[in-house]
Amino acid sequence: MTTTPLRGAGTHVDTWPPVWVLGAAHVLAGTSGGRLDLSAHRETHGLPRRRDRDELVRDAQAVRLVGRGGAAFPVATKLAGVPVGSRTHVLVNGSEGEPASHKDRTLMRLAPHLVLDGALAVARALETRRVTVAVGDAASYWSLRNALDERPDGDGVRVASHRHGFVGGEIRAVARAMSGDVARPPGRRVLPTVHGVDGRPTFASNVETFAQLAVLLGRGVDAFASVGDPDEPGTTLLTLIGDVDHPGVVEVPTGLPLSAVVGERVGPLLVGGYHGTWIAGPGDLVLSRPALRTAGAPLNAGVLARLPHDTCALGEVAAVSRWLAGESAAQCGPCFFGLPSMADSVGRLCAGEDVRSDIARRVGLLPGRGACAHPDGSAAFVRSALAAMPDEVDAHLRNRGCGRPVRRALPVGVRAA
Amino acid sequence: MRLEIDWTRCDGHGLCARLLPERIGLDDAGFPVLGDRMVEGDDLTHARRAVSACPRLALRLERAPTPAPR
Repeated sequence: MTTTPLRGAGTHVDTWPPVWVLGAAHVLAGTSGGRLDLSAHRETHGLPRRRDRDELVRDAQAVRLVGRGGAAFPVATKLAGVPVGSRTHVLVNGSEGEPASHKDRTLMRLAPHLVLDGALAVARALETRRVTVAVGDAASYWSLRNALDERPDGDGVRVASHRHGFVGGEIRAVARAMSGDVARPPGRRVLPTVHGVDGRPTFASNVETFAQLAVLLGRGVDAFASVGDPDEPGTTLLTLIGDVDHPGVVEVPTGLPLSAVVGERVGPLLVGGYHGTWIAGPGDLVLSRPALRTAGAPLNAGVLARLPHDTCALGEVAAVSRWLAGESAAQCGPCFFGLPSMADSVGRLCAGEDVRSDIARRVGLLPGRGACAHPDGSAAFVRSALAAMPDEVDAHLRNRGCGRPVRRALPVGVRAA
Repeated sequence: MRLEIDWTRCDGHGLCARLLPERIGLDDAGFPVLGDRMVEGDDLTHARRAVSACPRLALRLERAPTPAPR
């Protein structure tokens, strides 16, 4: 396996995140010198093959492509569920509201044309011109806007600023905001494929999904699937945080041992970000969305974190659970009241109070009681943390702390207004 | 039929828990905690009464199992 530092290697403070490729570069191909303009992009990726909807469904099916935002829904199924025609919308979710994740903004900054190729190819397959890209940061916004100015086919694409935090980045909240409504998940379980942007059928997915589709249409099924695990061929983007070999954004082929990606060191590992799952360590787990889901630790948007040994692990968990509480959209009672109560209890546990049964009760009351999966994901984060860190919990109960400061190794950012 | 709650509407009035205590409890903040959501036969009458009593129209009975959000 070759390791190619692409940008900012070793200079984390000024240019976070450093960007790496381990093995084959697909979505990050050609970006070692920085952003790909249109001619550099075409040199690297060529022109995407033209596909109608049925052909695109077959291609996506052939490489078992799943959405790269979090839910890991099969792209082929979603595509097949959207009607073809000019009413249909294509929505690219680049809001990346999770402060630990940087892969989407990295992709939009370095390879904006790949994202646009994917979005426009889907639009063409669905026989529509309505494409919206929702973007949460200025660098991505301007990278895409400048890319559209360079292209002959970018007229119909709308790039919209969307800074509405973690829950506001949920795809149905984005679809609502792009329709001029509030950026909150709807209370009724409507699907974007039926009722999306402006109430119209919408194919909505994460930025990386569209870039992967563009790679698929540029290289073809066989080349796309020439690397990676048969369960989920190709590559995936990850954001690696904390005590890992290559902190930053990394593109890796799927199917690698998880330990090869994060390094062999001991210590609990967070898989799948702040709605994710703490596990005792990588063990013999393999990096692919199907495998990790089966193992009970879904990859979600691709954040993997291991805490450095000099920070208070339980304090980090408490800080993130407080942040998660603040990220509630404040529209569902069990989340709005339940998450702060859970965060308070985790804080009390940090201070040495034995409130484990209280935490278990509060965690148990969260799942399934909200318009979106924020309470479920937050509960999974806390529950799995306490299960994966029994020694830390013991230390805090015995000595009212572990003696280490909370270094904020897990970034929690500032809540968008 | 299946009991569903639109959590964005529910304000925790708690009438549902009084009218359907065998299926609905309340948490510390007064929001409903659903037990068995599937309702059939004679229970439907009681469930419908609870649904129509909800002042926020948050409690509903739905026919098909709802698809998972994505």
